[in-house]
Parts: sequence; structure tokens; C-alpha cells
Amino acid sequence: MESAKKKIIMVIMLVAGVLAVSFVYNDAFLYDTTIGRVISVENSYSHDEEGTNGEIEHYYDQLLTIKILNGDHKGNIIDIRNTYTSSGVNDERYRKGTQLLIALNKAGDGGSVLEKKRDVYVALFFFAFAFLLVFVSGRHGSIVLISFTINMALLVLSLKVYDTYGNLLRVTMVVMLAFSILTLLFAGGLSKKTFVAILSTLVTVFLCYGIYMLTMKTSERIPYEMMDYMVNSKDLADLFLAGTLMGGLGAVMDVCISIAASVSEVVNKTQDITVKALVTSIREMGYDIMGTMINVLFFTYLSGTIPILVLKIKNGYTLYHLVKFQLFFEMICFLIGAIGIVFAIPVSGFLSALFLGNLRGHNKAITADNKGEGAGK
Amino acid sequence: MILKLVIILFFSMLFVGGDRGLTSFFTLVRTAIAFTVNVYLIAWGLPAVLVTLVVSAFLIASVIYGQNGWNPKMHGAAVSAAIVVIVIMVIIGPILNVAGISGYNEIEQYEEISMYLSANISVSMSEVAVAATVLGVLGAVMDTAVAVSTAVNEVYVNNPMLDRKILVESGMAVGRDILGTTVNTLLFAGFGESIMLANLFLKSENSFYEIINSKALFQEISALFVAVMGCLLVIPLSSYVTPWFIERGKSNR
Repeated sequence: MESAKKKIIMVIMLVAGVLAVSFVYNDAFLYDTTIGRVISVENSYSHDEEGTNGEIEHYYDQLLTIKILNGDHKGNIIDIRNTYTSSGVNDERYRKGTQLLIALNKAGDGGSVLEKKRDVYVALFFFAFAFLLVFVSGRHGSIVLISFTINMALLVLSLKVYDTYGNLLRVTMVVMLAFSILTLLFAGGLSKKTFVAILSTLVTVFLCYGIYMLTMKTSERIPYEMMDYMVNSKDLADLFLAGTLMGGLGAVMDVCISIAASVSEVVNKTQDITVKALVTSIREMGYDIMGTMINVLFFTYLSGTIPILVLKIKNGYTLYHLVKFQLFFEMICFLIGAIGIVFAIPVSGFLSALFLGNLRGHNKAITADNKGEGAGK
Repeated sequence: MILKLVIILFFSMLFVGGDRGLTSFFTLVRTAIAFTVNVYLIAWGLPAVLVTLVVSAFLIASVIYGQNGWNPKMHGAAVSAAIVVIVIMVIIGPILNVAGISGYNEIEQYEEISMYLSANISVSMSEVAVAATVLGVLGAVMDTAVAVSTAVNEVYVNNPMLDRKILVESGMAVGRDILGTTVNTLLFAGFGESIMLANLFLKSENSFYEIINSKALFQEISALFVAVMGCLLVIPLSSYVTPWFIERGKSNR
């Protein structure tokens, strides 16, 4: 029964996904910008250039024949020239069938390429992601999907609020509170352990904030002007702090809910557990979580920098420069996140033991009491 | 500041995790070294995807066996993580290249840095992009694979007579449980990374269509989505593969 229902849902999702992606593929009529599809490409070798270390870089010209898909010149066929290189650092090679956003000239017989049309890939990834999520983990997956989407919306909303009213730090504090409460409620349901997880997340994040401030104040100035994607903003320091704390938040929540859930499990199974036994089992859980979680953060933060690192090494930058200026921000984000993970273990362990551990006898009364309180929260 | 934070991290890991905290710290050091070597090998002109494949194999061995020991359940985790790496390279890699995620995005193109760095490097940036994506996925995939394999083994040890099908089902159940939190970890790390970009998009006059088609956005979200998809793939994989290794390990004895 259950599996038949799941199958129907999967088929519906698949059909909806295919329909949505093919709609986005054909949504040129929604655009004000001109969209064209490359219908034929002629590539020709142009010349070689030498790089800083004597590398040979090949340059190619391509003549793109493009059919316009929307607007007043719909159906017209135009030619656009493009150059690409074998490395493709600063240029793009277009292939037959690619859809492009085009800046068309007034006469409608020529123009230049603005951008690849990537919306269809955004849609494709999103639906593949949603489909796999529900396929692998069913109802649980759809809850994850909902919480994912809400958090995404919350981030955009908070940046909008900041854009209108300023004061980033206050916005960040409020939104981090909202993130923790919402995400952990979705993950743990309305229960006492969720409450403990929320509390320990907030305490841990606060500790991270303290460590960040302490090390920052006692070290040389952070080279904010080296950050990516700067807008002429005077809030660079606050923006970076907000990003750092937010980046670690997910991992900290992960640790806190795991420990809170395990402690409540242990306490439920072993009614009269001693403080010592509880501490031992929390430490045991901590070992298991710590190493792998820190690894996850490492790869997530640092892998994105590989392209620019390669480019800079090729241009003769030393490892010292790379760590000090290029990797600086990712390293700080990673380290604060990692410290957060480690701190979250004792913090959530202590708070779980305090609020969930019915230590030494009179268990029943407290358990009943807990339930009442949990429902009230 | 980096050094101070590293020292704080080291002592807190030592304090909270004891000996095993120390092991984890040195695993992290190995990971960092392997990562650096990988970047330098690519920069020296070796084929990026191939180098990353070899380094990934080393990292899988280093992290999975280094932290959890050499045993059948970890074979299950390692093999399934390796399969996911290859699947991403073969299936997702080409999609990423067709969509175009490599090279400077439209914002970086106008930043100072692109003016004075020579772009004649004769390293294929599209390969580098695939390499970066694979490494970005690796951490989360290994985490999930180890958790699932450990759980399957736990069930098996407690009741060796159980049917293979039940073992697989228990692996899937654990995978489902940890999936939500892993997705959150990745999601918020993504938030932290892209807050600058998000702020820039909101402050600029770009239309929705410009943003949704931009390379900058696609670079950020593809990393996130591919990482989650990697985790989703590894859950059924290690649920199926681990029982096989455990049973084989038993029959050899």
C-alpha cells in the first residue's frame, strides 16, 4: 500500500519535473532580452599566445549562426563572431544547440553574446535534487525539502531587510535565531530535545562569535578589500562575520540535534543512568561526529577556491601569498565552523544532561513534567 | 589570525576528543596537504580530472580508514564513496560543462584581479571546475557513507542471522535520518559562502533573468546541489554494498 502510494507520487514528480524543465527550456517568450539558439558553428584556429611561464595557449575563432527565438526579429538568422581559448579562463566556447542571451543591434541583423541561458540547468538541478530527495527518503525527504526552501527564502528576505534598514548585525542575529528554531523544529519536531538543541546551538554560536572577536581584535587587520563580490559597502566587516557564523550554523545544529537526540534516547532506555555513564556516552558520540563533520566543512569551503588558486599559481604567486590573501576568508570560515563543531559537543552534552537527563531516581515524575513542558514550548 | 584559530581548534579537539581528537586533527592535516598537492599538480599542467581521481582515492583511504580502521564495513563505505566520485565525474561533469561553470563569472570579469592575471595558462578550466566540484562533494559523501556502513554493521553484529534485505533497509533508514542534517550543514555552509554574492545581486540593478542565467549564481548552487545529490546517491549504494563486504569478510575467516 505504502509503496504503491510512493510510486504514484514519484511518477507525478517525474512528470512535473520533465514538464517544468521543458517549459523553462522553451521560455524565451518570457524574456525582454533577445534569445537565440546556435544552429551551426564554424571553428577556426586563430593564433597562439605565450603565458608567463612559456605555456602555449591556443586561440580559436568561431562563427556562430544563430536563430532568434523571440521578440520583433523572431525567426531571423544572424551571425556572431566569438573567440575562445584552450584554457577558457576568460571566454566561453559555444556549441551547436546552446541557447544564448543576445544584445541585438537596432537593425536586428547582428549583435553580441551576453550570456549563456542557464535557467534550464538551474531548473534541471533543482528538480533532480527534489526527485532524488523524495525517492531516497520519502516523506522525510519532503520535510527536508520544505525546510531547505524556507531557509533559502529567509536568507533572501533578511538581506532585503538589511538592504532597506541597514544594521546588518541585528538582522543577522534575528535571522540566525529564526534559522535555528525553524530548522531544528523541522528536524526534531515539537519536543524537549528540540528545545535543548536550539538552546545549545545558540550558546555555541555565541561562543564562536566570542572567539572570532577575540582573535580578530588581537591580530592584524583583516584585508576585507580582498574579498570576492564586493559592493561599495561599508559593512564588509559585518558581512564577513555574518557569513562566517551562518556558514558554521548548519554544522553546529547538526551536532546539537544529534547529541540531544542520542542523550534523550539513552536516558529513556536506561532509566537510572549515572552522571558518569552519561558523560562517557556523550564523549563517545562526540568522537564519532567531530572528525567527519570537520572534513565536510573543509571540502565544502575550500574546493570552490581551486580554479582561482590554479590561476594564481600559474601567475607565479607563492603559497604564502595564497594562504594570506586568497584563502584567508575561506580558512577563517572553515576554522570558526570547525571550532563550533567541537564546542557544540560539550555544550549540547551539558545542556542535554541538564534538561533531559533524569538523574538519580524520581524519573517518572520528571518525565511526565518534561512532556508537559515540551508541549508548551 | 589563522594560526591562532588553528591552535584553538587543535586544543579544543584534544580536550573534547582526547586521543581520537588528535587522530581527527592529523587526518585533517593530511587532507589539507593532499588538497594543496592536488592544486599544485593541476597547476603544473597534469590533467586535472585524472589528478583529482587519484587524490580522491587517497583522501577516501586517508579519511575513512584513517579514522575508522581497516575492516569490511569501511570497505563498503570506501567503495561506495569512490563509485559516487566516478559517477559525478562521468555524468554531472559534462552537464556542468555544457551549462558553463568554468572560468571567470561575469562579476569576476570586471574585478581588478582579472586585469593583471595572465589568462594564458594552458590548463583547461572546465576540467578544473569538474575537479573542484568532485572535491566539494567528497567530504559530505564520505561522512554519509561511513554513517550508513557503520549502522548496517551494527545491525549485523547484533543479529547476524538477519536477511540481507533487512540490512539494506536499516542502512536506508539511517541514511534518511542523517540526510536532513547533512543537507542543513551543506546549505548553511553555502549561505556563508554566497552571502556576499547574494548581497551584491540584491544591491545591484540586475533583473531576475540576468541573475538566474548568471554564471556566478550557477557556480554557487551547482556546488550545493551536486553535493546533496552525491549524498543521496551514496545512501542506497552503501546500504547495498556494505552487507556484501561484511558477508564476504565473514566467509573468508
